[in-house]
Amino acid sequence: MSSETSSTLPSSTSRLQRHADWAVYAVFIVMVLGAPLVIDDVFWLNRIAKYLVFGMLGIAIALSWGYAGILNLGQGLFFGLGAYMTAMSLKLMSATSLQQGSDKPVPDFMLWNAEPGAVTDLCCINKGSFLWIPFQSQWFGMAMSIVIPLIVAFVLSSSIFRLRVSGVYVAIITLALVLLVRLLLIDAQPITNGFNGLTDLGWLTIGGFEFDPYMVETYYVVAVSLTVVLLLGRWLVSTRAGLILQSTRDDPTRARYLGYDVAAYQIFFFTISAGIAGFAGLLYVVAAEFASPSFMDIGFSISMVVWAAVGGRNSLLGACIGAILINTVEATVSETEIFKEAWKLIIGGIFVLVVLYLPNGLAGIARDLLGRFERRRKGTPAETAPKAAE
Amino acid sequence: MNEALTIDGLTVDFGGFKAVDGFTTVVQKGELRVILGPNGAGKTTLMDLVSGKTASTQGSVHLFGENITNRPEHIIARHGIGRKFQIPSVFRDLTVRQNLEVAASGEPGVFRNLRLHMVAEDRARVEDVIAMTRLEPVLDTVAGELSHGQMQWLELGMLITQQAKVILLDEPTAGMTHAETFRTAEIINEMKGSHTILVVEHDMAFVRKIAERITVMHMGKLLAEGPMEKIETDPKVREAYLGSGGIH
Ligand SMILES: Nc1ncnc2c1ncn2[C@@H]1O[C@H](COP(=O)(O)OP(=O)(O)OP(=O)(O)O)[C@@H](O)[C@H]1O
Ligand SMILES: [Mg+2]
Repeated sequence: MSSETSSTLPSSTSRLQRHADWAVYAVFIVMVLGAPLVIDDVFWLNRIAKYLVFGMLGIAIALSWGYAGILNLGQGLFFGLGAYMTAMSLKLMSATSLQQGSDKPVPDFMLWNAEPGAVTDLCCINKGSFLWIPFQSQWFGMAMSIVIPLIVAFVLSSSIFRLRVSGVYVAIITLALVLLVRLLLIDAQPITNGFNGLTDLGWLTIGGFEFDPYMVETYYVVAVSLTVVLLLGRWLVSTRAGLILQSTRDDPTRARYLGYDVAAYQIFFFTISAGIAGFAGLLYVVAAEFASPSFMDIGFSISMVVWAAVGGRNSLLGACIGAILINTVEATVSETEIFKEAWKLIIGGIFVLVVLYLPNGLAGIARDLLGRFERRRKGTPAETAPKAAE
Repeated sequence: MNEALTIDGLTVDFGGFKAVDGFTTVVQKGELRVILGPNGAGKTTLMDLVSGKTASTQGSVHLFGENITNRPEHIIARHGIGRKFQIPSVFRDLTVRQNLEVAASGEPGVFRNLRLHMVAEDRARVEDVIAMTRLEPVLDTVAGELSHGQMQWLELGMLITQQAKVILLDEPTAGMTHAETFRTAEIINEMKGSHTILVVEHDMAFVRKIAERITVMHMGKLLAEGPMEKIETDPKVREAYLGSGGIH
């Protein structure tokens, strides 16, 4: 995954390209929001909601890898943290937690492992259980889904980027960190339920309305969230700060000599990207009703990078569509066992090809085609970019 | 205050080897100073020290009276030092216009830049520089695809857009064609007066076209300083250049 081999980007500055860009965004958003009108199988709708969550992860990866040039191979850390925070709250809302012989909720797994005679209360059923107390508020859990990833990412990136660590070292550090946290998570069995993760969760409840994952309303929670994140992300990269960020990716030294504190930009966007991943974790729990240490498996974090690479890491929407597309295709082909194995090979192969020949992924192909069309219309061949008078 | 850049006893010790050794000079506001010196004399290292890329071990650098010795690069840049590198350094994946827009921001902070448009003043400055560097025809080209000369002018343009008060140019005509060199001399002459410039250059024809005062460096030390005529006839300078073929 050489982030260095990126070829020069086609600049999307022409009007046609900008309009085409917005048109693609509009079509995508209409499709995402309109999907329930076409798909009436709630099981598929729930599946797609999960893939939209992965699409949000694609956006997070594109933001840090494509725009900031920071390859984070541990994005699953932030996704996982986000997922666990909300899952803790939803676990306490689950019927099983309310039936443990106490008037206050206690997760069932804590009871199974409790010392004989322990008080059935979050305060002291085991040594760490008090950490769960604030999660009795659903809103606290949901807020932590974003706040904790933001804090962890801020602390982590502050140390990394202030020391000017870059390139493959960032990838190694983030990879190592997600592994480490995964181990800690499994190890803290009394409060995390270890390997098994948090299952048997309650439903997200807003104003008395319960969001059953297999309801259209729940799909819309995810779809609208994705739309908002996509548009906010798009705004963010279009700002002056977004442009300056891209300049730090191209040539950090030059950016410094123009007076920019490069680390500050990297920290800001790395942290935002982690916040998006945390939010995705929250939504995933709402749709999938579980949180598990597998969210922090290395394979999962690497998959995210593959989705973004195939879709186009330099495009937020490209990476998002890449994630949704790959997962949808995967779900359809993996019904049969042989295909399931073959699919892994195919996706691996596609990834290698994309890295070698299509650094801008599907989004890059689309831009190239548009550029070609535009030049043909103008009647100027590709190579004769005007040169200044010499 | 007319002293733009005051370098006093500047020294860097690379584990026993002093690439710059007790170097002292004062560059006046609006001056164009050329630094000459044989290969390895320490010219690039001097610029590294002034611009904060390398930390000095002794001595000080003041910019308009403010001590900027060994501050981080972006702080030194914000104080008003702009630097052009020996190898052109532009944002290769961004368009020419975007390059200049990045250079134009009067505000370095992340949060202050969370807005879509530049302030009018910055935008006007970008337009001025585009005219001055004659980069209009390639504004929407990504910088990585520019010719060598255009890339150098873009980098120069970025320094002007940046509103650097003191500009350090390391061999701005290296690798340029004759015509390109001529155009570069024109740009530099246009910058004269409004900017304080420190140029490292080997091309003597070019130096004659732009130079006022010349500083000659040798083995990290200041060897001679004065107007062109005086430098060309200085026996110490001739001797220093003997090994490397003399001043051409
Ligand atoms: N970081 C470093 N560590 C050790 N030695 C260094 C370092 N940087 C530069 N030098 C040495 O310092 C000396 C001066 O190098 P410098 O690049 O400043 O010369 P220069 O005058 O710019 O030469 P040229 O005309 O070839 O560009 C050289 O001998 C170089 O090898
Ligand atoms: Mg040099």
